[in-house]
Amino acid sequence: MLKLEGLKKSFGGVAATRDVTLDFADGSLTAIIGPNGAGKTTLFNLITGRFPIDSGRIMLAGEDISRLSRREIVRRGIGRAFQVASLFPTLTVREALAAAAQAHQRRETAMLVGFPTGAAMKHADEVMELLGLTRVAGILSRNLSHGDQKLLDIGLALALEPKVLLLDEPTAGMGPEERWRMIETVQRLWRARGMTLIFIEHDMDIVFKVAQTVRVLSYGSVLAEGTPEEVRRNPQVIEAYLGKSAHGSAEGAAA
Amino acid sequence: MTGRWRDLAWAGAGLLVLLLVPLFGAPPAIRDFIMFGMAYGLLAMSLNLLIGYSGLVSFGHAMFFASGAYAFGLAMQSGKFSIPAAFALAIVFTAVLALIVGAICVRLNEIYFAFLTLAFQMLFYNVILGWVSFTGGDQGLMGGIPRPKFLGIDLADRTQLYIFCSVAFIVCIAILRQLVTSPFGYTLRLIRDNQERAAFLGVNVPLVKLTCFVISACVAAVGGILLTLFVSGAYPNFGFWTTSGEAIFMILLGGSNVFLGPLVGTVILRLLNDITVTYTSHTELVLGIVILILVLGLRKGPLDLIAERLENRRQAAAQAVRDAADAGANGTGKGGS
Amino acid sequence: MDLDALMRCVGTTSCIVTQLTSGMIIGMLLFLIASGVTLIFGVLNVINFAHGSLYMIGAYAAWTFYQLTGSYFVSALGAAVAVGVLGVLFERFLMSKVYGSNVLMQLLVCYAVVLISDDLIKIIWGPVSLSMGMPVEFRLPPLRFFGGVVPPFYIFMIVAAMAIGLLLWLVIARTRFGNIVRAAAVNGPMVSALGIRVNLYYAAVFGIGSALAGAAGALAAPVRSLTPGMGFSILIESFIVTVIGGMGSIVGAFVASIIIGLTRSFGSIGFPLFVDGVMFLIMALVLIFKPSGLFGRPHNK
Repeated sequence: MLKLEGLKKSFGGVAATRDVTLDFADGSLTAIIGPNGAGKTTLFNLITGRFPIDSGRIMLAGEDISRLSRREIVRRGIGRAFQVASLFPTLTVREALAAAAQAHQRRETAMLVGFPTGAAMKHADEVMELLGLTRVAGILSRNLSHGDQKLLDIGLALALEPKVLLLDEPTAGMGPEERWRMIETVQRLWRARGMTLIFIEHDMDIVFKVAQTVRVLSYGSVLAEGTPEEVRRNPQVIEAYLGKSAHGSAEGAAA
Repeated sequence: MTGRWRDLAWAGAGLLVLLLVPLFGAPPAIRDFIMFGMAYGLLAMSLNLLIGYSGLVSFGHAMFFASGAYAFGLAMQSGKFSIPAAFALAIVFTAVLALIVGAICVRLNEIYFAFLTLAFQMLFYNVILGWVSFTGGDQGLMGGIPRPKFLGIDLADRTQLYIFCSVAFIVCIAILRQLVTSPFGYTLRLIRDNQERAAFLGVNVPLVKLTCFVISACVAAVGGILLTLFVSGAYPNFGFWTTSGEAIFMILLGGSNVFLGPLVGTVILRLLNDITVTYTSHTELVLGIVILILVLGLRKGPLDLIAERLENRRQAAAQAVRDAADAGANGTGKGGS
Repeated sequence: MDLDALMRCVGTTSCIVTQLTSGMIIGMLLFLIASGVTLIFGVLNVINFAHGSLYMIGAYAAWTFYQLTGSYFVSALGAAVAVGVLGVLFERFLMSKVYGSNVLMQLLVCYAVVLISDDLIKIIWGPVSLSMGMPVEFRLPPLRFFGGVVPPFYIFMIVAAMAIGLLLWLVIARTRFGNIVRAAAVNGPMVSALGIRVNLYYAAVFGIGSALAGAAGALAAPVRSLTPGMGFSILIESFIVTVIGGMGSIVGAFVASIIIGLTRSFGSIGFPLFVDGVMFLIMALVLIFKPSGLFGRPHNK
């Protein structure tokens, strides 16, 4: 579904990703892990066109999307939620989701009808139902609890009916119990929508229990990939997480 | 759509009230007050489409007010156009002007946007001042604006002029209302709240901003046309920066988060002006102090404060619903922390 | 449009000298104002829309001091210091209250200050325009270069403005004060965490920027007529200068000021009606091809 081929990006001479090549199968559930600064969020930023890539290619369902604008990439079916929920503070949950649905239906600039249109409303209600947000439908986004904000952030992406959904640390800032509830919701919507889902996660228990495949990034390169079992036993991964991280210094000197 | 019918009913009621005023023999001073209020009200209302709804702080909106006034006045003085044709021409001219200025400005960050709009307004003002043979320079369009009859309407008659302006005014307000309650209006709010995120929803942010800028300019132009018809002339100070400043101040006085807020602000400012001039010639000093008190004291417009109270009450009710749902679900939902 | 006149002017050295000096005068006044705008923006991230008023107050203050003392140098210095102090008060009591708010609130505060100061000027100095006349120190025979006549005061203005600009640049680039200011421009809270009282530096920067405007007003007083509202058009031009030169760059402000000054002086011969248009055209071209300005950092916020 989504293929990254030799992605390179550096900021002012500092390499953020170097030669990342990854393939995400249609309908798969993948976790991306790696120490802080490994380039996980940068990878999402490159895929979604927030920053232009220096070299490489991003293929979505056989189409090269690496030079497209942020907006075109969204239109092609890549949705995204952010590490810190990115919301519209003065819109209620229902309004925000309906507005997103309207943008998806390309009716966001319609001036002669009222907001929201019936179709957008129905769509917003479905998303609220799926994420358990119906009970907060009338609350302004800025007044939501942290967990509900994260859910709404995912909901905004879902309203665009993405083929590929990127979640940047969906469980960030949550207590253990809340995390599991969140990850159950993520699993539920993945099954319900049958899309390709990629998430960044720090909690290894969650990663190894939930993900079908795991990709490990370190210093902007792919360190390992495979099933949770394979990754867990990979000596390089163990070293990256536990050891003093000898890996990467040689490449660092070369760059 | 019940909301649509309710808005139309409000528009009808508003028009009725405006039209009843001359019937009941209101003194000319009151009618003049309302006429000025309608012209400047359109300026403030259209500017709030930018400032309040889209977060685009323009300091050059009077440029479009003046471009409507001058284009209409010059077209009428040329004697080649009927009033409806000149009206349309003035709006088209303003739209093209706004398209050019907007295309340069909307991609910039908000500080650049504020002072580039201010700068372009200054350019426009200087053109009016400098091109004496065409615009009359600092004397303005002299000699009156001819008002030939069209479709049996005679705008040289004060009452008919008043009715014409009231209808044009209400139509513009209704258009603005329709706009802000449409998907487009909500898209503007998306951009105001979080431009970055709006782009990630697939919204073409610069295009939406530019569209909003042009529409807003056209409504301001109508305000300028009404003023030109009313005072039978056009003057450079229509497009001076202080007029833009006043429009922003009207929005502050009324409130930017309430649809009719700027209109209320227009009325308050005109009253404030009228009251101050009876006591002192230093109106600017008084206005400046009022602005400082409002900005540094209240930090927002009075109507905004009231609207916020109401919103808080609504939110408390909505949160009570959520808490009840959470308690009922007994742990299957998510606890509001 | 009279491009022939421009061609004829460029053909004679005397005309070139005259236009060059008058262009430099316009440019240097602009530079003093624009460098204040750009300095305040660079450090505090606010646009001081009231900067033109400070220039006006500087000119009026210099006029009064000159009436009192009879010495232009004392008056100019006094005006700069007085406006600097005024700037600090303005920053502490008004602007600092709206740093966190949106641009609209900052704009309104400045708008209020412009209204108040214009009216106060009318109350104190009267609504009619004043003129200082050539100060006694400069009542000297004009200098001649290549057939062009240059009043000595013009030379003083240009040299003084350049000296002030150089001093400003040295202070910002070479001193401990400048280091802290530049650090605060990038990350105020961080500097504050180091135990430095950032607010003090903010006030100082605002004061310096204001003093520059005051100095510009004092330098302009002998050659411009003093009217309430005189600060506005030079404010707009200084904005154009900062856009062309690049927000936050003093060197950029210098180069752009000279570009605009010369455009004005030579343009007034060749295309008097289109001088403003040409200035805006230059600005629009810079915005399209190098949005951060000729010497600015990229500002893609």
